[in-house]
Amino acid sequence: MARENRWLAALALLGGLLFLSPALYSIAVSFQTAQSYYQGGFDPTLDNFIRAIGQYDFARYLLNSVIVSGLVTLIGLSLATMAAYAFARFDFPGGNLMFAATVATLMIPSHITLIPNYLSLARVGLLDSYAGLVLPAISNGFAAFFLRQYIKGIPRALDEAAYMDGARPIQVLWRVIVPIARPAILSMGLFIFIGEWNNYIWPLVAVGREDLYTLQIGLARLYKLNPGEGAVDWPLVMAASTITILPVLAGFLLIERHLVRGITMGALK
Amino acid sequence: MSTLTDPSAVPSGGRHSLFRAGLRRRATPYLMVLPLMGFIAAFTYIPIAASLNLSFREWDFLSPDKPFVGLDNYRLLLSSHEFWNALKVTTVFALISVPLRLLLALGIASYLVRETLPSRFLRGALFLPSVTSTVAIAVVFSWIFSTDYGLMNAGLQLLGAPKVMWLQDPQLALFVLILVNTWKQLGYDIIIYIAGLQAIPQELYDAAAIDGGRRRHVFRRVTLPLVMPTTYFLLVISVIDAFQVFTIVDVMTHGGPAGATDMLVNMLFRVGFTLFDIGTGSALAVLLFVLLIALALIKSRFLGRNIHYGS
Repeated sequence: MARENRWLAALALLGGLLFLSPALYSIAVSFQTAQSYYQGGFDPTLDNFIRAIGQYDFARYLLNSVIVSGLVTLIGLSLATMAAYAFARFDFPGGNLMFAATVATLMIPSHITLIPNYLSLARVGLLDSYAGLVLPAISNGFAAFFLRQYIKGIPRALDEAAYMDGARPIQVLWRVIVPIARPAILSMGLFIFIGEWNNYIWPLVAVGREDLYTLQIGLARLYKLNPGEGAVDWPLVMAASTITILPVLAGFLLIERHLVRGITMGALK
Repeated sequence: MSTLTDPSAVPSGGRHSLFRAGLRRRATPYLMVLPLMGFIAAFTYIPIAASLNLSFREWDFLSPDKPFVGLDNYRLLLSSHEFWNALKVTTVFALISVPLRLLLALGIASYLVRETLPSRFLRGALFLPSVTSTVAIAVVFSWIFSTDYGLMNAGLQLLGAPKVMWLQDPQLALFVLILVNTWKQLGYDIIIYIAGLQAIPQELYDAAAIDGGRRRHVFRRVTLPLVMPTTYFLLVISVIDAFQVFTIVDVMTHGGPAGATDMLVNMLFRVGFTLFDIGTGSALAVLLFVLLIALALIKSRFLGRNIHYGS
């Protein structure tokens, strides 16, 4: 029995590594000199990362990605938590309709909003700004839907007790609901952050100024910049791709369980 | 916390403040919902109406007026080779990648459903690409499938086979994209299937075992019907995904070679943001929107019966 387990473990390890081998190999290449990459051998260097940051401003793109994803997460999560609490705990005229409109955003393909959002942000002069990147991304009902389901599962008696003590609804939300729902809120925060971090089409549409590029735009431009396939500086491109992947990868390894719970609960409820 | 501001306590200031307390209590949920609803209205629902409106107009983004042209934009689209090609390519992409994703995911999930260390590790490894940047994945796979420096061709050469131009061959490029998309999304499907499988009561399997059901039989008669809701959810999600695929195409092939991988959203981006033909772009967005809603409705009718009773 123990031997069988060890075999299974080895097989799983091998299968997992094989599956991830494209990504792992690309990370390895990002630490290689161009010369050793094209001629064989392994000559470790940080030169590709230094060039990605020095020549191509990937530090700036990284900062932009952190700012944009951070703001979307912070604002989106706050608004979603408040709305979720109201949907879960209050019976008010129009509430069901608004909840349905919130849930429906999950099924509405986002491409239909691309052109109008571009036009309206252009009209108010918000293209090429952080606000232009952040604001449309808040219009997402997933977190509110998910948190509403979660809050419904919290016993109402806890709210009542707080009301007895003279708390107002916003205080009940902040002192009773938020502490209990913290794991779910955290999961949703990660979910929003990762989704926004990897967002490509909207920044591509909304931003033309290079100092506002996010990592995704910077990486795609760097790759497309190279004329013809033979001329691509692969180790440099792989270093840029590693910079793009690594923060989420590190976060993922820390909090995999929260993330998986968030995703599966959203799907099954 | 003073009792004066407490809506649930009896206010001490007579009728007037009683009225105000009641008003505040009734206003509370609206105040909490309003900020999010404002964003959703401004950036989702109003834009849908705006798309519909713009789709009946002709506009190049710069000229001061937007003349109403009726169905001209739709007529133009429906008579263009470009649109039918993009629709065909996107449909082929969906028809191959959706069943591929779901079959692989269910197969793998049924092996990884147990909570053992190896199975947890494999789940993590398979899940990783689905939270990774699509652009980075597309760039890495462009390199792996590149003709001169790619891993795929290096492997072929080791076997003595000639080099293949993966992304330049109209016959192959689409399949490479399907492969990359499957690699990225598979882990997500697996996680959802595992959750669905774990929700099936163990008693049903015990009963099937007592009846002497064989493994394949049990899978068909117990597992398959009971994960039907999960399958339905994944089907909806993955079809919507497939019809909205953009990033890997934009990075890896840019719709080429010769339109062989030109999908609907890539065409939308080109018409709207490269040619700045706002009217035709909006008409395309509306057509795609209607198509996806129709697909969702057809599926719910078609699958509605099977969800509860199984096959």
